[in-house]
Amino acid sequence: MSLNKELHRLARKSRLDSLSHHLKTRVEQGLEQRIKLAITGLSRSGKTVFISSFAHHLLQSDLGTSLPFFAASADGRIIAARDLSTGSIQPFPLAKTLDGLRTYPPHWPDSTETLSEICLALRYRRSPGLGRVLGEHATLYIDLIDYPGEWLLDLPLLELTFEQWCQQQRQLFAQAPRASAAQAWLARQHDIDWLAPATDAELAQLSETFRTLLQQLREPPHSLSLLQPGRLLMPGELAGSDLLNLFPILTAFPENPAEAADDSLLVRLQQAYDRYCQDVVRPFYQDHFRHFDRQIVLVDCLKTLNRGRACFNDMQLALNTLLQSFNYGRSGLLRRLFSPRISRVLFAATKADHVTANQHHNLDRFLQLMVESAQRDIRFEHVDTRCLALASVRATQAAEARLDGQHLSCLRGMRKDTGEEIALFPGEVPVELPGDADWNSERFRFVDFAPRPLPAGPLRPEHHIRLDQAADHLLGDLFR
Amino acid sequence: MSTPEHWQRPVELSPDALEPPSSSASGQTTTGHAQELPLESTRPVEVETGDIPLSPSPPARQSSRRWLWGSLGALLVTLAGAELYRLIHWGIDLHPLLGATFALLALVLVGAITVEIHRGCHSRRQLRRVNHLQQQASRLLTRHDTGHSSTLIHQLEQQYRQTPLARELNTALQQLDSSYSDAEIIRYLDRHALRQADRAAQQCVQRYSVESGVLVAVSPWASFDMLLVAWRNLRMLREISTIYGLPSGPLTQGRLLRQVLQNLAFAGASEMAVDAGSALLSSSITAGLSARAGQGLGAGLFTARTGFSAIELCRPLPTTDDRKTRSNRIATLILQRLGKGKAAEGPA
Repeated sequence: MSLNKELHRLARKSRLDSLSHHLKTRVEQGLEQRIKLAITGLSRSGKTVFISSFAHHLLQSDLGTSLPFFAASADGRIIAARDLSTGSIQPFPLAKTLDGLRTYPPHWPDSTETLSEICLALRYRRSPGLGRVLGEHATLYIDLIDYPGEWLLDLPLLELTFEQWCQQQRQLFAQAPRASAAQAWLARQHDIDWLAPATDAELAQLSETFRTLLQQLREPPHSLSLLQPGRLLMPGELAGSDLLNLFPILTAFPENPAEAADDSLLVRLQQAYDRYCQDVVRPFYQDHFRHFDRQIVLVDCLKTLNRGRACFNDMQLALNTLLQSFNYGRSGLLRRLFSPRISRVLFAATKADHVTANQHHNLDRFLQLMVESAQRDIRFEHVDTRCLALASVRATQAAEARLDGQHLSCLRGMRKDTGEEIALFPGEVPVELPGDADWNSERFRFVDFAPRPLPAGPLRPEHHIRLDQAADHLLGDLFR
Repeated sequence: MSTPEHWQRPVELSPDALEPPSSSASGQTTTGHAQELPLESTRPVEVETGDIPLSPSPPARQSSRRWLWGSLGALLVTLAGAELYRLIHWGIDLHPLLGATFALLALVLVGAITVEIHRGCHSRRQLRRVNHLQQQASRLLTRHDTGHSSTLIHQLEQQYRQTPLARELNTALQQLDSSYSDAEIIRYLDRHALRQADRAAQQCVQRYSVESGVLVAVSPWASFDMLLVAWRNLRMLREISTIYGLPSGPLTQGRLLRQVLQNLAFAGASEMAVDAGSALLSSSITAGLSARAGQGLGAGLFTARTGFSAIELCRPLPTTDDRKTRSNRIATLILQRLGKGKAAEGPA
């Protein structure tokens, strides 16, 4: 009996029990019947809304009404779609999110605190041609994962040692606006002797201070993105764990680390860093962030326009850093079986409904400006990329106003903070990086809107902006 | 105009009074700064559906040959008139009733010819408008801003108001989203406004090419083949033009045929050679084909190409579909038919 138990334990430990499942998944992925779509985005870039809206529309794609530019659906080739994630351990709260968007007054979902997954199965008719030899019907499985955006920024840590990380952070904290915001923290670090023995309480207390600092940096007026380690901001199931007692050394790194006492802060931090990477980041990466086939990168450009150059630069840096954690390239059949790479990337500027329709193209261009270097790197690997302004759930209506005898396109919607209805011309999206003088002027006023209620019945194209084109770019070629 | 110079005087402005250059060249203007507006001053955006007069069709083609044809036509008409007059005169001389019959017949003939000419002119205008629409649409496809497509939409509505295409077109126009850019509107209409017509035209081309392929393959006389193919092609052209809402008649057909042949002869000659060559030469297809069947396949592919050119000419929006896959599919269909025929022949 106990031997049996022991065997089970061993099997679980070596992941043998999930081996057959794993194998099946990989074969399906190799034959392009299963797609892992990476939804990448910093926190508050709209991942959860994107996933729920995407899933919602795909689940209704057999009606062929709501996604006119998604060829498979518009041509009526999708027979039915099904949500398979109900049996999963951490199912994505699709029903809850959609209920929130349907009730009156509707509200956006809360920020994601833990990892969840959703798997959709789309049964479709193959297009006439050679594919029909394989049978008239086929099924495509789509795996989507939702997670707190803060965690994503931990992925680059896997490539760095503690010392390298401290070095990076030191450079970051030497620049505005971090330098001024973290003045007290920097001063406090100066007084610390890293090599002297220290107690657990001291470490915990310092970590707590650092966590408060990160939280400050995340909120307006700074609204920074590149905040590591991410679990300090969004601990998930690790809340209160001593794995999170971690912060970078921002003063000059001790020159003779070998002399440090075993219970000194330096040694403790180094150990904490290694443990954090090994026990927190690596499992997260290995279980969920390898083996992607397609990727969508969601970027909230309007936030940077509202906040200014520092916010723009920081978000650009964060995106460039984290996109290096993914594998890009074309995959042949063998590669798809053993180590798939991302073969198609879509950069999406979310909240396109928060600017007028004539600014969508400018929003595309502005996004291009932000992800330029990342996009170039990805294109170097022969991977298709595209920039698109989209809105997963449309919160505003287009309207026109007459002002001083001129027509002015504007938006009509409910303010998120007060709930009152407003009409707004939010300003033009620049296609070049605005000069220093322009950032803090009255040039932009991108207000956050509350969603408009979703219908209980079939969706229509007016409930999203360009979600269908995103779906077609990401999945269109798979419905052969 | 009030000043005598042709150039404008330099004017000094304060930098604050400048507006950022607007990317759209249309009447839509936007000021650069964010502002909040009173709710009452707004109205929802709709796709405008008021009547706008059609833009004048492009000027008639200049041709030095017009004189040639004109004088020839006038001569022929005079000749025919004189001959008719003599015929009627002779009839009246013989018996008034016979003369009246002749006169009546002549009247009917003149009436029929007039109607046909009128139709021909109408169809010529229509074809030209379609061409104009296509050009506009392909220009819009390259644009990313909004607000330039309303003229095209009006023209589409007007042109197809009384045709079978109107219903689907109107449904698609009503579903146009306010967030679409010009290029997206064209792509949307291309996909959704002409779906039934496209499918019908596609099937029509398929049917006629398979038919003419099979007919040529089984016809016993070589010279008969040519007539056969010409006959099938002409009927196909008529059907396609009806599907896309163009008036059908011998003159329309002739005009269409001329344009199609021009397309095939000049623009698509090399393409056709490559297409037909690849279809004919791919060993899996031609292996074991008799010369007869090969001829049939060639004739079928030719008909298919004629059909696709006709579709391109009649369709108000430029086709984005891949032509090669379509002609390959037709090639396989013809071969399947021929194969069936062979299989049926074999045991006998």
